[in-house]
Amino acid sequence: MDLDWGYRQPLEDISGTVAIVGIGETGYSKASGRSAREIGAEAAERAIADAGLVPTDIDGLTYSGTFADFSVAEFHEHFGTSHHIWSSPWGGGMAWAGTAPYLAAQAIASGAARHVLNVFPVAWATQRASMTGGPGEVHAAQSLKQNLEVPFGFFPQPVYFATIMRRHMIEFATTREQFAAVAVTLRRHANLNPSAVFHDKPLSVEEYLNAPMIADPLCLFDSCPISDGGAAYITTSVERARDLCHSAVVVQGVAEGYSGSGTHWAQQRAFTSTPQVFSAPDAFAMAGIGPSDVDVLTAYDPFTIVSLMQLEDMGFCAKGESGAFAESGALAFDTGSLPYNPHGGLLSHAYVLGIAHVVECVKQLRGTAAAQVQECEVAVYGGYTGHMASTLVLSKDR
Amino acid sequence: MAIARSTFPLPDVDDPLTAPFFAASAHDELAIPHCDVCEEFVWYPQRECPTCAGALEWKAVSGRATLFSWAVVERVFLPAFAEQVPYVTALVAIDEDPRVRLCTYLVEADATMLRADDRCEVIFRDLAFPTVPDATVRVPMFRVIQPDA
Repeated sequence: MDLDWGYRQPLEDISGTVAIVGIGETGYSKASGRSAREIGAEAAERAIADAGLVPTDIDGLTYSGTFADFSVAEFHEHFGTSHHIWSSPWGGGMAWAGTAPYLAAQAIASGAARHVLNVFPVAWATQRASMTGGPGEVHAAQSLKQNLEVPFGFFPQPVYFATIMRRHMIEFATTREQFAAVAVTLRRHANLNPSAVFHDKPLSVEEYLNAPMIADPLCLFDSCPISDGGAAYITTSVERARDLCHSAVVVQGVAEGYSGSGTHWAQQRAFTSTPQVFSAPDAFAMAGIGPSDVDVLTAYDPFTIVSLMQLEDMGFCAKGESGAFAESGALAFDTGSLPYNPHGGLLSHAYVLGIAHVVECVKQLRGTAAAQVQECEVAVYGGYTGHMASTLVLSKDR
Repeated sequence: MAIARSTFPLPDVDDPLTAPFFAASAHDELAIPHCDVCEEFVWYPQRECPTCAGALEWKAVSGRATLFSWAVVERVFLPAFAEQVPYVTALVAIDEDPRVRLCTYLVEADATMLRADDRCEVIFRDLAFPTVPDATVRVPMFRVIQPDA
């Protein structure tokens, strides 16, 4: 395959040096009336308590510089603390939910921090009433999109991904029933998870096929909702992790890859691929594993087509075969060969931009997930943010 | 949407990076930036050739293209499009270099009859939105043509 459309970011080998020791989640919902800051504070509180730490133990903080709702100032104000906290704006959610442990590993190795909190809150459902936030706003502000895409109705994300979905159907004969398999599997998972926004809302293939189109061929159930909610996790050294209350979840591999055309999907040479092509192989190499060693995969799924492309690009099936792979039942948490987004994913759990995916990996490895995968030793997060993909390999402490 | 420009979602014809595109379109010409040294089109427009850092010249092209992908947009995402849905937004690959994909409207299209790689030709239309009174911008749209047309 032609591989000049993107590139990999070489990272140092941090395999086996750090572990995730605390996780915290808020409720997930439609518009909650809460601010992202409140949500972030609650997620942070719960992660700190889960790790058996106190706020003054947190001396490192990674957050999203793009959506800086809960950074160091908010941390101190919420907890009434004033100690020095090392921080980086290159954490939070999306692809960075997968690379934040790498930043933590570097800070821990250099002595800059000991317990690093990564937090990502979202209140887009609440903000929607005032027409702020949401995935489209950042894009509408870019001049090339304003001039060459938006005027032609090529906006926002559901339209971009409808054209990618169409092209996948053209190139690989992918069917609507195959996209339905992703949506229906994730809805089944959400129905086993009381915290999912779509809990108690079953979905059948027939309902999928009869659903209204958003941008044909992309229908209502190919797209995730807009949600409120947030989560956080704490990374520390493996040695320190073994002193804390939970069994440690060890970071075995991290990698990131980029598309050369950025978020200009229309111009991405490999139109039906994600930069996981450049990321997943590096993360698996760092971890010393292959795709067949993965017991559970959580991957960024704003649209069903993104699920399918990442399955291919991460090497879980050949390019173009993800539709048949999904339709075969491979993604079911209990009977599938590759349990996928057992919490329900962005599509049916909540659109909190990947942070809950990483938390789900930790729960699966602890054995405390709502839809628990049996004998789960290796969990992988596939992050995706348009121009960037990340891969995080986690395992039980050995 | 926090977009300050009052003519949004019409294009900003004064933006230096894309102004020549709309200037050409104003007299029914489709033009794409080209590096004469590397003999390559560069799309989207950039300030200089990404390969040799040389100057880019806007070059007129035939307006013939093939249909790469498309979506029939039913949902209203911006108030400006409320009266326009459903519409067909498309990516067309120009004959001179199929790596150049234009985001455009397919007009006069029966969405159920569209096929990948359908032959298309440019047709210039005045773009207007009800939310932007008294303003139009002439832009390239496309329509499907018969293979031997």
